Amino acid sequence: MPIIEVEHLMKDFMIAKRETGFLGAVKSLVKREHIKKEAVKDISFSIKEGEMVGYIGPNGAGKSTTIKMLTGILVPSSGSVKVNGIIPYENRQENAKNIGVVFGQRTQLWWDLPTIESFELLKEIYQVSDKRFKENMDTFTEILGLDEFLNTPVRQLSLGQRMRADIAASLLHDPQILFLDEPTIGLDVVAKEKMRTFIKEINNERKITVILTTHDMEDIEKLCERMILIDHGQKVYDGEIAVVKERFGKTRTLIVDLEESPHNLQLKGGEAFKEEASRFWIRFNRDEVSASELIAQITQTHNIKDLTVEEPAIESIISRIYQEGYQDLPEIVKV
Amino acid sequence: MFRFRLYWTFTKKAFLRSAVYRFDVWSRLGSNLIFLLMWGSIWTALYAGREEAGGVSFESMLTYIVVSQFLSGVNGAGTPLWEIQEKVRTGDISLELMRPFDVPLRYLFADFGSVAFYILTALLPLYTVMFIFMDLTLPSAWETWILFIVSAFIGFLIRYCIEMAFGLLSFFLVETGGIVDVFYFAMSLLSGSVIPLWFFPGWLEKMALYLPFQGIYYIPNAIFIGKISGTEILLSLGVQLFWAAASYLLLRFVWNHASQKIVVQGG
Amino acid sequence: MSVLKYFDLYFKLISAGVRAQLQYRFAFVMRIVGLITSYTGTAVTMWIMLYQFQELGSWTFYEMLFLFAVAVLSWGFCIILFFHFRGLDTYILNGTFDRFLVRPINPFFHFMAMKFDVASFGQFIFSIGIFIWVSFELQLDWTIGKSFFLLLSVVGGILIQGGLLVIISALAFWTTKSEQFYWVAMFPARNLTNYPLVIYPKAVQWFTAFVIPFGFVNYFPAAVLLEKETPFFPENIGYYSPLVGIVFFAIAYYIWMLGLKRYKSTGS
Ligand SMILES: Nc1ncnc2c1ncn2[C@@H]1O[C@H](COP(=O)(O)OP(=O)(O)OP(=O)(O)O)[C@@H](O)[C@H]1O
Ligand SMILES: [Mg+2]
Repeated sequence: MPIIEVEHLMKDFMIAKRETGFLGAVKSLVKREHIKKEAVKDISFSIKEGEMVGYIGPNGAGKSTTIKMLTGILVPSSGSVKVNGIIPYENRQENAKNIGVVFGQRTQLWWDLPTIESFELLKEIYQVSDKRFKENMDTFTEILGLDEFLNTPVRQLSLGQRMRADIAASLLHDPQILFLDEPTIGLDVVAKEKMRTFIKEINNERKITVILTTHDMEDIEKLCERMILIDHGQKVYDGEIAVVKERFGKTRTLIVDLEESPHNLQLKGGEAFKEEASRFWIRFNRDEVSASELIAQITQTHNIKDLTVEEPAIESIISRIYQEGYQDLPEIVKV
Repeated sequence: MFRFRLYWTFTKKAFLRSAVYRFDVWSRLGSNLIFLLMWGSIWTALYAGREEAGGVSFESMLTYIVVSQFLSGVNGAGTPLWEIQEKVRTGDISLELMRPFDVPLRYLFADFGSVAFYILTALLPLYTVMFIFMDLTLPSAWETWILFIVSAFIGFLIRYCIEMAFGLLSFFLVETGGIVDVFYFAMSLLSGSVIPLWFFPGWLEKMALYLPFQGIYYIPNAIFIGKISGTEILLSLGVQLFWAAASYLLLRFVWNHASQKIVVQGG
Repeated sequence: MSVLKYFDLYFKLISAGVRAQLQYRFAFVMRIVGLITSYTGTAVTMWIMLYQFQELGSWTFYEMLFLFAVAVLSWGFCIILFFHFRGLDTYILNGTFDRFLVRPINPFFHFMAMKFDVASFGQFIFSIGIFIWVSFELQLDWTIGKSFFLLLSVVGGILIQGGLLVIISALAFWTTKSEQFYWVAMFPARNLTNYPLVIYPKAVQWFTAFVIPFGFVNYFPAAVLLEKETPFFPENIGYYSPLVGIVFFAIAYYIWMLGLKRYKSTGS
């Protein structure tokens, strides 16, 4: 039984032609000229309980818009959404009890109050029992190290501290589903790592279903087994990350430092796509040629000082996909 | 050396920018009209059918109020006090200290631009219509018109200097609420903008005459309706000039301390 | 959630808001001082006006003070409960409004409980001071009935002015502007009603009685309490103040919810 079911989901925005000034504002009260913007076009997917799914795509792809429809903030233009059996936009308050939401870009805490007070207020809003509140606070404090800033007003928190507080706040009422819209944005390497560990842990131990959008592919690589890739409001891939890696991972890069710097390097089965002084980057397909064959070719004419072979990270795979299009993607799901 | 060309650029830029923020222009005009309606009605009710009171005819009194609202439209079209405070708080003003111009003058010239736009597109058309259709008294001599314009301009300078000086107080005080309210009170009452000084109780009138605020509304209004005439006008203009100089010095004083503070403590 | 639970929650949310505000203690005191100063300024203006003329549309200085104080008192409560509504446009523009929609409570309620501006102590000190002073000067006889009526009309005034703030904020759902509408429309209109409506052209009086019912905030109730006439209007129309308040606020709430619905389909 899937916990989230999305079918043929669409969201159009009518973007008003910009009218400035008072007359424009008054005029726009009566009549406006609009341009239709299809932010989400016919997206379908379903997510099982306990899954952790990366929802990715370039800027403006429609990720946040989808999340907003799943959380009941926005009403879809057409299509259906079901979260835990509830239609979010019809039963927004009911749905809100089951979900936790973090918008990485902006906090949901009380700006001027000591952090702990935001937690206490959320306890009241979600009607969390004293006992459960205490248990959760203890757990989160331990894993996220909240105690170092619990008494500091939210406005004085560093970005990393604020994000930790925000994610803890979203989990106080034991939601079954957690929506994370860019939860690692702006964090340093260590803070990102901590955040990932925490997300992993609550997914493992509490069986919370997590949907995560991010522009940091390392988040996806370390956290998710499945990713849904969208662009221009359409789904272009939905499946295991491993499959993508397998397909694109066949391309390797051999980097060699030569003793002299030849004008060009002609190799069979490999393509030098970048050079810098006497260092060359050579792309090759693992199925067609092996690294040692390439090296052997090079040593016939040049002396190699140093070399490395790079496997592509999901990061570079995705950036290639964004740039080169989706035609090579495995099992493009057309619904 | 005063680089007029440079400051003139600020004027032009502000003029053009006003066209983009038309909503502001219309909204200001809207509230200006409501206040005109309010004060017009109040004075009509106060006169209650009498031809004259305190030696001033009803028609002149109504003219006084309309001119006063016109001037308050003019004076309200520049950078408002809260915006200056906001600029102080966000550090915008401090950043401008690094630029090769004088900050108070730069804002004054920018205000010329936005005020000119507001006068041309909103105030003048509206008030012209009002003068045509209402029973108001216009000065008959062209000299009076000139003197009125000069006096109103000096009044504008006085107001600018005082308002800017108050705005800059944000450099020294975290919260200026109370002080700003005193400023607004003085601006509306002691300046004679809504009640001419001759209707004040004696002691208060004397007090108001010793303060700079009368130079902003009272003197130009009174010149317009002919309450001040002849050599008295020159005397009044002299008083205005004195206050313009004094409030300029006040602004300089506050600004010097403020910029000192920015330089020493980084704002 | 039950109504009782909502009350409890409201109390908790606003007391948090008050604690937040009291962090800036100096600012808080200065605002109170500022408010009292500016209201005193208006009172002084009235005094000077009537120093020469004695009467404004048959209202004496003390009667006008009373009229003014009724407006200030209900406005004071209004600031506490609803004043932050005018800033809804900022919440929408920077996206912080969404948070009210991911929580399991009524968003109007949640937004309303967001702030609780206790600086309106300034209004209370001022208006209560004026009530006492005017009661002595006019030898007002505060029977239980009259006190109760004043209380009810203050409630009516809160609902009317609060309702207008709610409507103004709802404009942000359509136009992405609200704060400015407050300053263009409501601020001058509030000033207008500091003086007896009888002095204004009939159209204006009619408008402030039946379109945006500001007349019921102070003019009509004060006329009842001071036993003054309200030309062009039925006698004792002021008794309807609480009812008008309830109806107007209900309309305002409906408009707000309509706006919210629009927001949920446009996202801005
Ligand atoms: N309220 C709105 N009104 C009009 N257009 C909108 C609105 N919200 C989003 N859009 C448009 O819809 C498209 C999708 O936006 P969305 O915020 O969902 O993208 P995203 O995938 O979250 O991008 P990012 O990675 O930059 O956060 C964009 O083109 C955006 O401009
Ligand atoms: Mg987004």
